[in-house]
Amino acid sequence: MLRSPSIRILSYVILLFLAGTMIIPLWTVVATAFSTKFGSLQAGINLWPNPISFEGFDTLFRRLNFVLPFANTLYVTVVGTVAHVLLSALGGYVLIQEDLPGRKIIAGVILLTLTIPTQVILVPLFVVFKQFMLLNTLLSLIVSELVSAFSILLMKTYFEQVPKSMVESARIDGAGHFKLLKDFYLPLALPGVVTVAAFQIVHKYNLFIEPLLFINDPQKITLQIALQSVIQGESSTSTNDFIAPNVTMAAIVVALVPLLIFYPFMQKYLIRGLTVGGVKE
Amino acid sequence: MLDRIRRHWMLYLLIAPILAYFCAFLFYPMAQGIFLSTQKAGLLGPVGFIGWDNYAKVFSTPAVWQAIWNTLIIAAGITIVGTLLPILPAIALLQITPDWLKRGFQTAIYTPYLLSWVIIVGIWLNTLSPVGLVNSVLEGVGLIDAPINFFADPFWARPMVIGLTVWKDVGFHALIYLAALLSLSPDILEAADIDGANDYKKIRDILLPHLMPMIKVVFLITLLGSLRTFDSAFLMLNGRTADQIRTLAIFTYERGILNFDLGLASAAGVVLLVVSLLISGVAQVVTRTEREN
Repeated sequence: MLRSPSIRILSYVILLFLAGTMIIPLWTVVATAFSTKFGSLQAGINLWPNPISFEGFDTLFRRLNFVLPFANTLYVTVVGTVAHVLLSALGGYVLIQEDLPGRKIIAGVILLTLTIPTQVILVPLFVVFKQFMLLNTLLSLIVSELVSAFSILLMKTYFEQVPKSMVESARIDGAGHFKLLKDFYLPLALPGVVTVAAFQIVHKYNLFIEPLLFINDPQKITLQIALQSVIQGESSTSTNDFIAPNVTMAAIVVALVPLLIFYPFMQKYLIRGLTVGGVKE
Repeated sequence: MLDRIRRHWMLYLLIAPILAYFCAFLFYPMAQGIFLSTQKAGLLGPVGFIGWDNYAKVFSTPAVWQAIWNTLIIAAGITIVGTLLPILPAIALLQITPDWLKRGFQTAIYTPYLLSWVIIVGIWLNTLSPVGLVNSVLEGVGLIDAPINFFADPFWARPMVIGLTVWKDVGFHALIYLAALLSLSPDILEAADIDGANDYKKIRDILLPHLMPMIKVVFLITLLGSLRTFDSAFLMLNGRTADQIRTLAIFTYERGILNFDLGLASAAGVVLLVVSLLISGVAQVVTRTEREN
């Protein structure tokens, strides 16, 4: 695009620097995680553990309860994402029905929800979840963002690209709404469905404010909260059993593994999803 | 009309659960927040209407003004840097030719956007710890005498929140810009070549104006997001940094959930909503009139 060599060099410098701020810290996390307790406490540049040790992971799984939070997060992520995708698809489907009286009003109400961010209504949200008796349940984490305007609008954008003629002939043959959705819109707009699902998986996996607000019961704790308490060293009980950096970093590595498995498959959709939303403006 | 409504009853039935959900878990809490902000808080809940008293208390509490100030400074930093900085990697990504390398860079700079704040703070706690990589390098080259405790220094508190937020979002914003740049017709740049324009001219007169609408969009998204900063600052909050990075959202959480002062916290929440709606409204009007001129 641009021709001068100085710009090309500058481009590499900028990108190498930015990529470096991602890769190097992540690398040191892994290096620290595989260090011994003693090794992880050493000052200096620790780029390769010497000796390599699984002490951190051992402590993490033997002394701290890290499996239960993982299972809880998995449950919330799977159930929450399935429910979110289905409801968003329903919403998108209704919004593309051009001859539906009141469609503009429905769309307006959905858009209006964008002006109420969770962080602004933390306290009333707590009160309302208490009224619905959802406090201290994993259900509360599935209910929060059960459906969102963002996902509904994304689904709508993708559904609009499904050729009307294909759907019309099926409709004339007497196919109902659910059949149209199941046999036409969902399969034909699959990239959109996967995009919404991918974003929701990341969102549910990373949930932090909601479990912080709604969950007190140690049995219902989720991964990010467990991770936070390991990082802040709250779970340490006695002084000679304090949590060394190798344990904290091992916890981060464990929390990163599902994302790293999931990322290569979903990257295409995660990136495309952004630009679909962005380019529409 | 009535006939059309009757014919579509099934569609209304389909959308009903969604609208009911929004009413129960967004509009109702919002209304509840406004209601609670006018109530005197008792131990077991609201005990009576007291009008504007909670708001008077909010505005006479120095901690609230501090929280508003913190929120505004952090939001300003995140918005300005977070909107402008990603232009550099976006233009840079255009120059990278082997496709696999370009995709590699994209992946590397976009990944932080997907990580939770807990993980991000954890990663940087390690890298920026007093015995960590950054301090070791800075000491090694002689730039500093004593290690900087980035996470427990009031001076660094706000730059840390701003910096890590910008770092988390830089890839996301850069990819939005990149998509906009790729929609630019190559003919225009070729024509500029024929006219003898150099690269800096091309960036200034073609690429940046082409990017302008998207810069405004990113500006608005970032502004809205940063005004409600919670997770990032909450996780970096400690005794030494609290006064610098306790945002209004964190204040409502501490007062409402930890201290059970529902009235005051709800009033502060309403103030936060009004402030962010006002600022984003003004920002929207300003960017729109600029667009028309």
